[in-house]
Amino acid sequence: MTAQIEIAEVTKRYGALTVLDKLSLSIKANEFMVFLGPSGCGKSTLLRMIAGLESVDEGTIAINGQRIDTLPPGQRDLAMVFQSYALYPHMTVADNMAFGLKNIGVPPDVIATRLTEAARMLEIGHLMERKPGQLSGGQRQRVAIGRAIVKEPKAFLFDEPLSNLDAALRVRTRVELAQLRHRVKSTMIFVTHDQIEAMTLADRVVVMNNRRIEQIGTPMEIYTKPASRFVATFVGSPTMNFLPVTLENEGGFARVRLPDRSLLQTTVPMAGLTPGALDLGIRAEAVKPARPGETVITSGQVEVLERLGDRTLLYIRLEDGGMIVAEDIGLSRAVIGDRVPLVLDGARAHLFDGEGHAFHAVEAAHG
Amino acid sequence: MSSPAVSSGPASGAPSGMVGRSTGDRIILGLTIAAAIAMMAPLVWVVALSLKDNKELMVSMNAVFHAPYTLQNYLNILATSSVFRWILNSLIVAGGLTLGTLVLSSLAGYGFARLNFPFRNVLFVIVLMGLAVPEQAVLIARHQLFSWMKLHNTYPGLILPNLSAPFGVFLMTQYFRAIPKELDEAALLDNASRFKIFWKVLLPLTLPAQATLGIFTFLGAWNDYLWPLISGTKKEMYTLTVGIASTQTNFAQSEGLGFLMSQAVFAGAPILILYLFFQKYIVTAVSGAAVR
Repeated sequence: MTAQIEIAEVTKRYGALTVLDKLSLSIKANEFMVFLGPSGCGKSTLLRMIAGLESVDEGTIAINGQRIDTLPPGQRDLAMVFQSYALYPHMTVADNMAFGLKNIGVPPDVIATRLTEAARMLEIGHLMERKPGQLSGGQRQRVAIGRAIVKEPKAFLFDEPLSNLDAALRVRTRVELAQLRHRVKSTMIFVTHDQIEAMTLADRVVVMNNRRIEQIGTPMEIYTKPASRFVATFVGSPTMNFLPVTLENEGGFARVRLPDRSLLQTTVPMAGLTPGALDLGIRAEAVKPARPGETVITSGQVEVLERLGDRTLLYIRLEDGGMIVAEDIGLSRAVIGDRVPLVLDGARAHLFDGEGHAFHAVEAAHG
Repeated sequence: MSSPAVSSGPASGAPSGMVGRSTGDRIILGLTIAAAIAMMAPLVWVVALSLKDNKELMVSMNAVFHAPYTLQNYLNILATSSVFRWILNSLIVAGGLTLGTLVLSSLAGYGFARLNFPFRNVLFVIVLMGLAVPEQAVLIARHQLFSWMKLHNTYPGLILPNLSAPFGVFLMTQYFRAIPKELDEAALLDNASRFKIFWKVLLPLTLPAQATLGIFTFLGAWNDYLWPLISGTKKEMYTLTVGIASTQTNFAQSEGLGFLMSQAVFAGAPILILYLFFQKYIVTAVSGAAVR
């Protein structure tokens, strides 16, 4: 059984403070949806409202057409994996996993079968008689997921479940989660502030900021066509470069003048753009040191080098004092202090107006 | 050729036993031993006196340092027909009070820590104010109330007054507050009722606090003298402390010193046994380590 979740005009207030304001969202059956945003954006609150741990002040939440926001948490047929795992410390792993099933009167033989199956899937069979205090962080995480799986819920809710793990274990668990979602066919909602988790796990990402949804889309849509300057900034590492530019009309596509007076021809359609001051947004992979014969757009001095193995990031101080991050090959010969001529790919440029609205190059639109 | 791995003792400078112990450590050790002797000496003295014939002690206290020793004082206590009844009374009162305090304090602590209800904080402050009211201040009013309710010389009369335990409520409230709320939430999603969350999820986690509170309550009730003296006026309703005190003669400290000391040992023996069983919890409770 899986769930299609409809969130309609949902509002949440704490006293005079509105933390979510008339938020609407539709989550498809079997979809892996990630709520992504900075701390305090309301993503966890939204998840907890779906779970029933927070009340809904206005609006409705429905699963498969049936309204659930008036039901107590235990009757919503959802399972949640908490950031702290929230395992019952005095119960064994097996008892932790069976607790919810016993509460809804599942027969003991069915409980045993489900526990065995989940233990096999998560490779925790040897831990079943241990207590949470005897487990490592990663093992606790598996048990928390196991506790959710055995309930065979309509939807899984994950509240930043990887944030308590160390970096290496987080990467491994992320991969395992990605594998798990193909084995457990169910709707999954995953809350995180980590864009890599969002990009690698999600079918679709809901980017939230300041109590509202900034953008909903596939990871690549979010990356290549950020709907706002906030999304462009929040998603992607290193963060997108922004340069103040002035718009100069050039046929159907925007041509912009950079602070050092150089010109960049983009493939951003002029439709909707008004002449004047804009911000050029361009990711590091679209800014490269110029090769012989290439047309140099601008240049600057290398201040910082980040050698990441497969590529090198160059933090370059431009003539006007601004900073831009460029990407070079892993074996880049650049050294700190070098003057580097740069090529900017206008086909991967974005323009943002004063209100943060985004205009994308047409190539970028194809992702 | 001798092996360099063979060593006859700990490496130079390695702390092992007395080796490497600093002067400061030695001073602290000496002070600790002195303090232990200072605390143990009266107890040993009491036990020694209790094993001596009263007449011998009237002649000279030096008698305590040489034979003969006797258990006659203890046999005299056991010959008091009511002593086992007093022990039973003390067990019922201390046990009942401990059980009642644990149940009420746990429920109240859970309520104050987890439930939202009107005037919660005001009520909690009122409960805490109970800590500042000495028993003597309410003794006469309580005596009259219990007299009017005809509860004197009954077990409820001995147990009920101390069931209002502000410290217990405070301790349990703080302990419940320290338990992460995610456990309640996980249990809610596991379709557990409010009572089941309390009973199956949270209460087992408060066992260290329950042990602390239970031990202190039991000790307090066992040693309590004032209220049992007032409420239990019939001999068969005496607790052990009141009963033993009632057997003392007017010149107990001169004519019956051995007997007096044997009474003290006898009254303390059950507590000593309790201590042996719950030593670990008592040490934890006294050090405050149980309250996370």
